[in-house]
Amino acid sequence: MRHTTDTRVRDSADASVLRARGLRKHYGHGQGLVRAVDGVDLDVGPGETVAVMGPSGCGKSTLLHLLGALDRPSGGEVWLAGRRIDQIGEKALARMRRSAVGFVFQAFHLMDELTARENIELSALMAGRSPRAARRRAADLLERVGLADRAGFLPSALSGGQRQRVAIARALSNEPLVVFADEPTGNLDSAATVDVLRLFESLHEAGQTLVIVTHDERIAASADRLISMRDGAFVDETRLSGGTTGQLGALVGLEG
Amino acid sequence: MQQEVVLAMLAKEPSHGYELRARLRQALGPLGEALNPGHVYVTLTRLEKAGLVTSERAEGLADRQDRKMYALTPDGQQRVAEWLAEVRWPKPDLAEFHLKLVAAAAAGLADPLSIVDAQRRELLRRLRDAQRAALAEPEGSDAALLLEGIVLRLQADLRWLEACEQNWTGRRRRS
Amino acid sequence: MGRFLLVGRLAARDLRRRPAEAALLLLAIAAATTTLTLGLVLHDVASDPYQRTREATAGPDVVANVSADSVQNQPADRASVEALTDAPGVVDHSGPYPVTGAVLEAQGQLATAQVEGRDPEAAAVDQPELTRGSWVDDGGAVIEAAFADALGVRAGDRITLNGRSFQIVGVAVTAAVAPYPSMSPTGTAENPLQYCVPYPAPCDQRSETRGDPSPELRAAWRRIDAEHPGLVWLTQADARSLAPQAESLSYVLNLKLDDPAEAAAFVNTYLPSGRSPEVVSADGPSLQSWQQIRGQVADDMARNEQRVLLIGSRLLTLLAVASVAVLVGGRLADQTRRVGLLKAVGGTPSLVAAVLLAEYVVVALFAAAAGLAAGWLTAPLLTDPGAGLLGSAGAPSLTMSTVAMVTAVALGVAVAATFVPAVRAARTSTVRALADSARAPRRRPWLIAISARMPVPLLLGLRAAARRPRRVVLGVVSVAITVCGIVAALATRVDTQLGEDRGSIIKGEELDQVLLVITITLVALAAVNAIFITWATALDAKHSSALARALGATPQQVSTGLSAAQVLPALAGAILGIPGGLALFAAVSSDETANPPLWQLLAVVPVTVLVVAALTTIPARLGARRPPAETLQAELA
Repeated sequence: MRHTTDTRVRDSADASVLRARGLRKHYGHGQGLVRAVDGVDLDVGPGETVAVMGPSGCGKSTLLHLLGALDRPSGGEVWLAGRRIDQIGEKALARMRRSAVGFVFQAFHLMDELTARENIELSALMAGRSPRAARRRAADLLERVGLADRAGFLPSALSGGQRQRVAIARALSNEPLVVFADEPTGNLDSAATVDVLRLFESLHEAGQTLVIVTHDERIAASADRLISMRDGAFVDETRLSGGTTGQLGALVGLEG
Repeated sequence: MQQEVVLAMLAKEPSHGYELRARLRQALGPLGEALNPGHVYVTLTRLEKAGLVTSERAEGLADRQDRKMYALTPDGQQRVAEWLAEVRWPKPDLAEFHLKLVAAAAAGLADPLSIVDAQRRELLRRLRDAQRAALAEPEGSDAALLLEGIVLRLQADLRWLEACEQNWTGRRRRS
Repeated sequence: MGRFLLVGRLAARDLRRRPAEAALLLLAIAAATTTLTLGLVLHDVASDPYQRTREATAGPDVVANVSADSVQNQPADRASVEALTDAPGVVDHSGPYPVTGAVLEAQGQLATAQVEGRDPEAAAVDQPELTRGSWVDDGGAVIEAAFADALGVRAGDRITLNGRSFQIVGVAVTAAVAPYPSMSPTGTAENPLQYCVPYPAPCDQRSETRGDPSPELRAAWRRIDAEHPGLVWLTQADARSLAPQAESLSYVLNLKLDDPAEAAAFVNTYLPSGRSPEVVSADGPSLQSWQQIRGQVADDMARNEQRVLLIGSRLLTLLAVASVAVLVGGRLADQTRRVGLLKAVGGTPSLVAAVLLAEYVVVALFAAAAGLAAGWLTAPLLTDPGAGLLGSAGAPSLTMSTVAMVTAVALGVAVAATFVPAVRAARTSTVRALADSARAPRRRPWLIAISARMPVPLLLGLRAAARRPRRVVLGVVSVAITVCGIVAALATRVDTQLGEDRGSIIKGEELDQVLLVITITLVALAAVNAIFITWATALDAKHSSALARALGATPQQVSTGLSAAQVLPALAGAILGIPGGLALFAAVSSDETANPPLWQLLAVVPVTVLVVAALTTIPARLGARRPPAETLQAELA
């Protein structure tokens, strides 16, 4: 009898929340052909945090858009919660976006004329919730990200880290299966990065599946799996749990 | 300067003492100015005593160290291979890692990129541990500050490793 | 001088960068200037052929006539009229000639005619100029050219006057009266020019017996407009023979003065005191100066067309202002950055405003020139004065005042639409301008709350429109002006229709053409506005639309919302335009009973809404199908 103590990470493809096979995205043609994503396979299990790192232009943002139903691939398959999403119609895709996917952008992409609360409500309203239910949900989420006292602030009155936390709250609004984050700390200073890091860790503990594209080693180090990407393809995968602990002191001259 | 660096320099082919020094100087660039010229020969002598290197006197030339021909012994080669696979990071010693990559590439012993990747992985694990420890500390504790320092240094080192990766990828493309 | 050149170069370069918008601007203003030119030229033209006719026919400076008093059975006081020939200032005269009314039948139509008896020899004053055929002789009639045109008769046809048959020997023009149907006949309400009715004239016992009139003739009889007779010349003997008795004749005298400009003063001097010039009675002669006659020509003949053109041009001007404001508003968003750059390199706010205005001023000047040229070239099509005056050979000339007014209007349109945005852009602080935060949308909490309760398309559309309220207003105004024009046009058609029913043979076709052209131009401009506003809104809302789609809105929801954001203002505009159009028509016309049928008025609203919805569908779809990732990524660049 086999049982795994680590209930968060499974190898069985059947249980994977997100799956990609042979994913490709091309731009241009002939001489100008750019293979932004060139044959990517991926399995993400429920509750996993997966980080994708790579140099600029390696295609990781494009990959995230393909996985998160924001763009259509040139080839390959994407399965989200057991449904294929690469070829479905616009309406079905939109339904995916408001029920199964939450997206966090590097540039936050909040509406400037809406308050923090209204920005979060918008997501619920898109999903057809009543204004009252949307308001309640927004209040809960603001509490969750620690910005309940800033509910009525406009984005221009919020710091970068606060804006991104509002964006994360918005992404959580419709209880998505997967939260995708594209360079979530790209525009943030280190203190704000720590705030976002804490939030991601708490989401992880609550069992939220996360797929994060990042430059930031701190975010990457907090993931269960770290995938390196180069020239549109995966080149390396690391499971970061475990490792040579106990040698922290050596790093700053406390060598034994 | 680690002995293994000099060993690795000889991995490609036997060379004269002055050739070794020149290659080291070239790999280190302006930092090579600080390199004590005598240090290399001291290391070579030590290595010879340890049986990792042999030396030969060139025909017809004076018996000076810079004119001697040095080569690796089989023990020396094995030591080099072990050293290449190591992921110790005892102190921030960029020069050593840098030279490790140079030597590995020159000798064709290992792919510099995989060396970089391995080292990155190790540092990432340490970063994860340090980060976890830092987050677990109560706010304002002194240990938290120290841990933060460790995290930031690791982050900086990782950034450099990324630069290494880019650089060596470019080099491979060009060759 | 250097600054002037700099401004010019900057303006020219910017125009070259966006040729399509410059072209649209040009078209919008040119539409207004063309119709304005037409209206003004028409006013000038009408008087010109009159002058030519006057010279060719030795037209009279003063026309005096006197009528018999049918109530008291007094014959006309001929002596009083003849006495005028000795009045000081009079250098020549012709007449007095006998005048009587007669019923004319020609080509199966019935009309009323004012018959004047003349000599076969040429008269010294007012000798009508023949355009066809020869002058009067026994049994031969000469018809005034416009009258002949309206009846459709030519030299050689036969007509009957009061039942007696005559042959048309010639067709002529005169300057002594306004051409058909504008001629004011001799006679008053109490003493009208007499016609022997019913037809056939029983009072003329010398007529040949004819059978009972056929039903068609009886039907034709109903269309006679007794107030618009046409002029016919016969020999004096023939004319007298048509009158029931000699005592019922009126007389007309043509006078030439040594100073034609003094004609009005002459009329005032010799009019019995206290009487208005138009009133003719047996108390004495009534006089008309040649200026008054000319006024009637310009007044009646081209009055309708000119009025329509001037109103149409005013509507088009307003619409052009709205169009230009829409176009300018769309551009000023990215002008802000240029303003910032100009100011950062040392441009004063006035220089900045000058550059911004210069572009539109240049376009306006070109549009003025284009409108003047277009109006000048198309004027002959509309201002053919008809057969009643010597036709204008070649195009009418543009007077300086017309050129000045059209240019002023074009410049006014450009300045009006760009002044406020230009000043605001120039006042923006340099830093803000460089940061390219083009007019951050103002927050309207009430709208956000209301839109939250609506279905998703309306939520998106309302919020998209609310970011630029000025555009919404422009959309309402644009549709309102167009609907005003359409309603006024419908009313004018009804008016013409009623006029035709009453028996005047005024041909409404040309008027209809003018109305059609103006209406089509209005609708075209408004359509361009609607499309452009939707396009600009779609571009503006690119980011928020992409975000909405990333959050789960379908492309249909987004484009429906954008379309709805135009349809609602259009509905408001249509509803406002209907009473506006009716008021406009009532303000300029004396006829209050001409109202378009209710169903037509009510139909305008849904038709407008449907048309706007159809027009805006395509620009609303702009980029709605693009994957949201593309747009959102591009925002970072």
